[in-house]
Formats: sequence, C-alpha cells, structure tokens
Amino acid sequence: MYLTREEEKILDGEHGWAEQICMRILVKLGDLFGATKLIPVNSAHVSGVSYKTLGEAPIQFLQALAENNAKAKVKATLNPSSIDKKIFGNKIPREFYAKQATILELFQKMHVKPVLTCTPYYIEKPKLNTHLAWSESSAVIYANSILGSWTNREGSPSALAAAIIGKTPNYGIHQPENRDATTFVQIEAKLESEVDYGVLGILVGKKLQGGSPLFQGINASEKDCLKQLGAALASTSNINMFCYGQKPKEKIEKITITKKELEHTTKNLSTAGSEATPDLVFIGCPHCSLDEIRHIAKLVKGRKVKKHVQLWICASRYVKQKAKTQIEVIEKTGAKVLSDTCAVVTWTRLLGINTIMTNSAKTAYYAPTLNKAQTILAPLEKCLKTALIP
Amino acid sequence: MVTLTLKGRVIVAGNCKGKALVTTQPITFLGGVNPKTGIIIEQNHELHGQNITDKILCFPHGHGSTVGSYVLYALKKRGVAPKAMITEKADTVVTVGAIIAQIPMLDQMEIKKIKTGDTVEIQTHDGLATIKVLRET
Repeated sequence: MYLTREEEKILDGEHGWAEQICMRILVKLGDLFGATKLIPVNSAHVSGVSYKTLGEAPIQFLQALAENNAKAKVKATLNPSSIDKKIFGNKIPREFYAKQATILELFQKMHVKPVLTCTPYYIEKPKLNTHLAWSESSAVIYANSILGSWTNREGSPSALAAAIIGKTPNYGIHQPENRDATTFVQIEAKLESEVDYGVLGILVGKKLQGGSPLFQGINASEKDCLKQLGAALASTSNINMFCYGQKPKEKIEKITITKKELEHTTKNLSTAGSEATPDLVFIGCPHCSLDEIRHIAKLVKGRKVKKHVQLWICASRYVKQKAKTQIEVIEKTGAKVLSDTCAVVTWTRLLGINTIMTNSAKTAYYAPTLNKAQTILAPLEKCLKTALIP
Repeated sequence: MVTLTLKGRVIVAGNCKGKALVTTQPITFLGGVNPKTGIIIEQNHELHGQNITDKILCFPHGHGSTVGSYVLYALKKRGVAPKAMITEKADTVVTVGAIIAQIPMLDQMEIKKIKTGDTVEIQTHDGLATIKVLRET
C-alpha cells in the first residue's frame, strides 16, 4: 500500500502513540484487504458505545487513546448508548450509569460527538459519492444503497482510527467495480408493509451472505421501508449495499423469493405464541425518521397506552427536537419517546420486559439472544393497536 | 521428539516460544473470553473452561463483534493475554486486537498440524513467519 511521506511519519510515531496505533490499524487492514492507498473520509460513525453490549472491554483502550491526546480530525459521531437517563430512572443500577458515562466521556475527549443514534444520516445527510468510515451496519447499508455515499462496514476500532487519522484504506466498496449488483432478486409477492421489507432482508441476507442484491419491483420512494430492508439484510449477512430501480450491467445470478418463503420467515421471527401479549411495544429500530414520527403522532393522537404495556418510540435527539409538537402528542398517550438508546442495546430484562412486539425485523432477529426476550413481529398499525386502549 | 516446521504470513511481528492451545472452531472474543481471567466462556466451545493466558493460541479465525479487538487489549493489560496467535485466515477483529495489544500474530498457517500441548517456537522475519513445532513422543 502506498503511503505519503506524512502518513509514513505518523506510522513511525512522529505524531505520538495514539496516531501511530490508529495508522497501524488502517495500514494493516488496507494491506490485508488489497487497498492501494489511504483516502480522506468526510465523516466517521463509531459503534461500540453501549455499556450493556460491551461491558468494560473498551474502557482501557479508549483511556489510553484519550490520554495520548487522540482527537478526531473529521466529523465523528457515536452510535446509541445503553441508557436514556430521563426514562430509566433508578431501575438501572447506578454503577451501570457510571460506566456508561465513562465510555461517553472518553469518546468526547477525542471529539467524537455523542449523538448516540444509529441514524446519523438524519442529522447530516452525507453527500453523494463521498467516502465515509461508518461502523453501524444499518447506517452503512443505508448510506451506500439509499444515499449513494461510499463506506465499508468498519469495526468499532477501525472507524475510530479513521476518525483520528481522517482517512480510510480504499479497499472494498470504495472501489467503483465493487458497487455493481451481483445477484438479481425476483420477488413473487407484493410487499405490503415495512415488516415485509424487513423479512425480505432477513431472508435474502441468509441466502446470499455477501455481494450486492438487486431487488426487482421494490418501491424506491418508501425510504423507511428500504431502511428496514437494509437493516435486516445487514443483520443476517455481510452485505453492505443493495440496488433497486436499475438494470444489471451484465448477466448476473438470479434468485426468486416466493410468497411461501416470506411467510415462513415472518412466522419464525415471532417467537412468542399467538396468544402472547407484549410487555413492550417498540418502534424505532433503526431510530425513527421525521416522517415516521409524524405518522405515529397522527395514528396515536388523543389515545392512551394500556396499563400493562409500555410503548417506546426511539429516535435521535435531533429528530425529537425537530418534531417537538408531534413528540408532545405521542407522549400525551403515555408512550415514551427515547433518545440515546433503543430496546436492543439496553437492559430490557432489568426493566421487567420479557416479550417485545416490534415492526423491526432486525430487532425481532436479535432480541431472542441479545435481550433474552420473546418476540412478536407486526406492522406499525398493529403494534400501536396492541399498545393502545381501543 | 517430533519436530515440524511450518510457514505462514506475519500480521504482527514478534519472536516467542510457548505451549500451543489449539481449536478448529473460531473464537469470539467479546462475550466468549473472560477479559479478567483469559478463560474461554463461550458455551459449547471445544475450549470452554480453558485458559488462553501465555498460550500460543491456534484457531482458524475470530468471530463476532468488532469490539472483540478491545477484549484482546484488556487481556494484555491484565497480563492474561495469549503469548501469540496463529490463525488460518486473518480477520478484522483479531488483526486489530493483535495490533493494539501488540500480540504477535500469524496467518495462512496450517493449524491442523499443531496439537494442544506442543511447544511452538515462532520466528518472524520480513513478513514471513516460520514456526517450529516440538512434540514429545
């Protein structure tokens, strides 16, 4: 891999230990995956923030970087943490609050902004054809497929290293030839809701594992449905990009998804019995868009959440701020609008939650293992109907 | 005494000698290894309950969350890290972990030829790794 004189100096330690170790990470990954050089990135989005998912593992390394004066050179943002201070109160042990706070402080010292959302693209939409170093799989696939910006699926440390150096090695999806569709996906069913899009993602991800699927006949204007499709695809595979509304450049492999397969996958993503009632109805994986918040506000206006069910709507602080009136409408029902976290990355068991109903196929896929919860997967309207008094 | 020489690629350089701990299953560092003790806690793993401290850890590749790299750093800081890691295929999690924790790491090695308990001597030079495997007979 070619390095400039300046990059060589950093690698030799002339700019201190922190930049040296970050440069080592980028150069070694670049060498392993066939990069020819480092390229500047416009932004970095760093995962590995939630104390619930990570435990203490990252604290020592983050401390070492921060003590050695590591600072992000480009706009850098953080994925969700494990806590919304305003909502969880004393149901979460104090020690957990303290540990989570330590992790956030260390990142802040390095100038990585605690936006604490998996949807940084709503705060600032990256420009078309710009290179990024992002590490939240649902954001990576959204950026590549829907926004037309370019990012590999970074790991937590490599995204942080890219933030501190301001560059990333140019392998993988940073190369135009790796952005072409590799499999044509024909769907023998009508996709009716965001759940159908999510289920399609889970299924196609499992079938293909990698490459870039080109979906036939999906509605390009339904951005929030495409968000569900991408988040689910990235959960069951290493796929970082999907295509739609185009013809393949050359003859590629073709697969067909049948109605029966979709129904079967949908059924398997609900692990709770058909008679089960949820403790939590959770909307906002990935975090809600402004459109989604507006739509939810319309649907719940004037109604009340049932006594033994919690209704969580998760969105970034930014989106919450932009939709103040709608948030008020939603909160009046007794629903909680959470920022900085979501159901998957917090201690739902400690909060007495054993069964989660959601419209997110990604959550339905992860909750049985990450939350030890039973799941019910259903479209937004049905979720809200379950949570609200008729 | 049987002696065997194997060659591979250097990911993180360093010469050392130690006892091999070998598995054919990938290792998940986040959630699979106790960062305070170096004991493998992943359920149903064939090395479940084994301690990786000071071992020449031989496994095909890493698995799971990229935060696993930080676990390798934490193990090293506590003095319970493996002495070196020998893999078949370098993956992001283990590679980054080896870099930040400065643990010698090799890949493109035939780990199937190494057995738990073998004495392994690693020498790295100019990107190429040579290991000597000594086995009591």
